[in-house]
Amino acid sequence: MAEEKKLNRRGFLKIAAAGAATLTGFRIVELATASETGGSSPHQWVMVIDQQKCIGCGHCTLACRATNDVPPDISWTRVLEADNIGDRKVFLPRPCQHCEHAPCVEVCMVKATTRRPDGIVVMDYDRCIGCRYCEVACPYGARAFNWKEFDGPNPAVPTWGTPEIPRRPRGVVEKCSFCYQRIDRGLERGLKPGVDEDATPACVIACPMGARIFGDLNDPESEVSKLLADYPYFRLREDLGTNPHVYYLPVREEAA
Amino acid sequence: MNKLSLLSPRRLITPFNIFLAFLLMICAAGVVGALIVFTQGLWVTNLTDLVPWGLWITLDLSSIALSAGAFMLCAAVYILGLKKFQPVARTATFVGLIGYSMAMLCLVMDIGRPDRFWHGFVYWNPHSVLWEVTMCISLYFTVLALEALPIIGRTPFMQQRLPWLSTRMTGLHALAPALAIAGLALSSLHQSSLGAMYGILKSRPIWFRPDLSVLFIISAIAAGVSMTVLVSMLASRTYKKARVNDDLLQQIAYFIGWVLVGYVYFRFWDAFSMTYTVLPGRTEGLHFLTKGPFAFNFWVGEILLGAIVPIVILLTKRYRQNQVLRMVALALVVGGVVAYRWDTNLAGQLVLLTYLPNQIETLYTTYFPSLVEFITGAGVVAYGVLAISLGVRYLNIVDHYSVPTEEHAVGEQAQALPAATD
Repeated sequence: MAEEKKLNRRGFLKIAAAGAATLTGFRIVELATASETGGSSPHQWVMVIDQQKCIGCGHCTLACRATNDVPPDISWTRVLEADNIGDRKVFLPRPCQHCEHAPCVEVCMVKATTRRPDGIVVMDYDRCIGCRYCEVACPYGARAFNWKEFDGPNPAVPTWGTPEIPRRPRGVVEKCSFCYQRIDRGLERGLKPGVDEDATPACVIACPMGARIFGDLNDPESEVSKLLADYPYFRLREDLGTNPHVYYLPVREEAA
Repeated sequence: MNKLSLLSPRRLITPFNIFLAFLLMICAAGVVGALIVFTQGLWVTNLTDLVPWGLWITLDLSSIALSAGAFMLCAAVYILGLKKFQPVARTATFVGLIGYSMAMLCLVMDIGRPDRFWHGFVYWNPHSVLWEVTMCISLYFTVLALEALPIIGRTPFMQQRLPWLSTRMTGLHALAPALAIAGLALSSLHQSSLGAMYGILKSRPIWFRPDLSVLFIISAIAAGVSMTVLVSMLASRTYKKARVNDDLLQQIAYFIGWVLVGYVYFRFWDAFSMTYTVLPGRTEGLHFLTKGPFAFNFWVGEILLGAIVPIVILLTKRYRQNQVLRMVALALVVGGVVAYRWDTNLAGQLVLLTYLPNQIETLYTTYFPSLVEFITGAGVVAYGVLAISLGVRYLNIVDHYSVPTEEHAVGEQAQALPAATD
């Protein structure tokens, strides 16, 4: 009887050891394939949106759809009617807020969404399993799930731009990326995001009123840094402690 | 008996076979529904970006909660040493195994990329509650499978046709205490974390509180053990070879009664404490449950029928001894927990908070599952009922009198060895 038990205990230990080895193996693969390694960046990309200037035309949404090949039923950046001051409508364009403490990054079980050292919250569409926990967690409704395959032509192309990134497959969540492809390629070519058009998010360039300003918060000379020093600003749901990287300049009395 | 008589209509058309055929039909419909989901995509559901988790998530949470009998009874038998409940733990283990497989079926349909289900094991985000839940559920499923293998190994088919495999499988029973400890640890983790999964979301005020994890695990214990006892009682009343020791089941039912008392206490504590703090959207969420569209579910489904009535029945000796009343009470507990999961999952999603500055408003949306969601959901439930019925019939999972314990079998063998020293 004792021998029988001993054998089984050994069997159990074998199973346990095999299990632990498998898990460790997975962990090694995970570390080896990790897309970001922490690190640091000299930049902190932020967007400033001036409600004083926004007229709610929605050009940003369309330019974004074309540049990022977003299906017509999804908006990475949405323009909401926020308020009325007198007979003037006040709009609130809402891209992904690129939170410092992003709820979506915290809850994603496979690290398909991560925050880069330069402050951009990005998606890995090859890793997303489509569980939609991030959608439930996002306080800003900035995420959209691909319920349907997006095939056929994109109605926003070519009027509003040409796609720069591959289309997302059915079954993954997608969201605004601050057009990181433009920033990264621009920086490689020695351009300055926020100043040079080729290195600036599509919505910023498309805005006819100049209501969107993009730049580096770490650079005191950038336009965003200056605006935030000169004007009062707010961010969305600051009470949640997410620390968004999208700043809004409210409608100002003097100019109203 | 020749083959012809086996296939004669009189032998084929039995109530049990009709029941199986009925379940198989629902399963087949579910498979068709699942194929539609896989080929068409999730737009065939009524899920939206505002309500991305619906009926399938409720089913998934419910089947995991209803499987909690396995870890509770295995812990009672192999850790606390309450050996007399061993045959009930057998039933619970099998029901648990089927319950977790039901949850996995739901999840495979629900996630957008089922082909990437393995990403959770390879790409780790230990900060994510859902990752922890996924790991625990997968590991616990393995534990349940190891716990259930001896049941399969002990079938006459395995013993006669594949004796070597049968010995290996039944030998696993010696690991039962270790497995019970692993099961208790893993279940304590994920049964409560399923509540924490909602509880950590600060964007959803009605969920954002620590109490959900406590309530999820207590309600799972009540409902999971109820499910085990209910399956045992139903089996014994419909199949004469499923013999039960009603005294054992009655003792467990009494225990469930007290768990429910604890659950109701924490539930009210949780509800009242929500009124202490003012958080935009939380009061609205509470009102949504207590006097809004979910008021009937909440008061009647969860509290009155799901807890109060079963407490009265299970804690009153006269009522508890009445088998029909006891079964009604257990079924009500099961239903009450399903209602709790449904209400919790949806309340947080249907009560929305705007993010416009200075005008954080509460808005409401609606969700009703689509036909495909219902059909596939019914398919998953039918699969569960089918698997448990077949288990009762062919794996003898409900039998309190003829279970040979491994210790005895091993002991007899050891004594029969010629080289025994004593």
